[in-house]
Amino acid sequence: MTRRLKYFLLSILFVVIQTQLMRILTLQGITPDLLTIWIVYLALKEGQLAATVWGFCIGLMFDLVTGNFIGLSAFTKTICGFVAGYFFNENKTPLTLGSYRFIIIVLVTSLIHNTIYFVIFTQGSDIGLMNAIFQVGLATTFYTATLTLLPMFVFSRKIFL
Amino acid sequence: MQRLFNIFVLFKEYVIFVVLLIVSLILLGTNDNTQIRAIRSYTIGFVGIFQQGLSSIPNFVELKRENEILRQLNVNLSDEVNRLREARLENIRLRNFVGLKEQRPFTLVTGDVVGKSLHLLRNTITLNVGESDGVKTDMPIISENGLVGRILITSSHYSIGQLMLNKDFRASAKIQRSRIDGIIAWDGGENLHLNNVAKSQDIRPGDVVMTSEYSNIFPRNVKIGFVSKVTEKPGNLFKEIEVTPGVDFSTLEQVFVITAVNDTEREAIEKKTYHAK
Repeated sequence: MTRRLKYFLLSILFVVIQTQLMRILTLQGITPDLLTIWIVYLALKEGQLAATVWGFCIGLMFDLVTGNFIGLSAFTKTICGFVAGYFFNENKTPLTLGSYRFIIIVLVTSLIHNTIYFVIFTQGSDIGLMNAIFQVGLATTFYTATLTLLPMFVFSRKIFL
Repeated sequence: MQRLFNIFVLFKEYVIFVVLLIVSLILLGTNDNTQIRAIRSYTIGFVGIFQQGLSSIPNFVELKRENEILRQLNVNLSDEVNRLREARLENIRLRNFVGLKEQRPFTLVTGDVVGKSLHLLRNTITLNVGESDGVKTDMPIISENGLVGRILITSSHYSIGQLMLNKDFRASAKIQRSRIDGIIAWDGGENLHLNNVAKSQDIRPGDVVMTSEYSNIFPRNVKIGFVSKVTEKPGNLFKEIEVTPGVDFSTLEQVFVITAVNDTEREAIEKKTYHAK
């Protein structure tokens, strides 16, 4: 129960950071997705089922805070948690989080997340799907993966494990 | 029953995954639902309080630069005000002469940008003005450099604005010089696009683009930006016109919401005409 409360409070904190402070790290209109990293972490720590549910909750929180497209992030982040859950291995969690595997999992999950996101997001608009996926989606994926280096180094030193 | 339960336990990850996806899709389909709008309104009000606090953290380097720009702007504006006073007097005389009705002045509410969401093309801003200030959905947002966007959703003290650089943004526009009409939209790039302009029309780079009188949301003659590129592709009936917005969205800090532009009589007659069978 305490752990879930901790995850809930941290999720709120990360949603606030993503919406209010991540613009500081925006480069050429590309912002890293802190929430994807957090969901992947939850997937690797807690497993597929928990990550799917947390993905939905975090996505819904993000939708409510940003004020448009209620359900879009809930949808994509649920998939994000579900996909990341496939990499869950109870015995290797510290090893995965502290190595390049964490980055690769974030890279794969973020790529799937961004592709699905833009397939829905670009419907009925003048924004080209390929343009959105290759220019914004891929850039966001690599930027997010780069940002994962930071928690990876922290976990490799086994500070929070 | 026990068997069904066993199947659920066996495939619980997949069952819950599918259920959550269905819930998300239902939420996506009910975006204009009153209850969903109310939940969003409460959330925006709650988050706005955090945003207000975070936005007060000063950036001293930016402040110094902004101060210099404002000083320069002040000098330019003083000069322009004098010239405009003269022009207005002349305008009044001429309007009286030809009997034209003067356009109603705007009622403006000043708002600070307390939050920006520029993540994955969701380009919106949070303003610290809401329903208690007279701000309502669909009201236009402008700045001293021109059109910014429109109000998307409101709570009592905060509102979310949709920027022009948003995939759902559309506005009727015209070229100031040649009076040619088109539709302003965004395709995900740095600039806007003026659509539906035939190849035969006279449009040149540098032309100023303004809102047109055809819009029910935006008042006419608000600057949108200027034409930066005009291309004609073979086999295409229309020109491809790139418009650079007058507003720099990355440095947007203070905006105005126009609270009284809708002509209800016009809306009523248009609704009556277009909905008549």
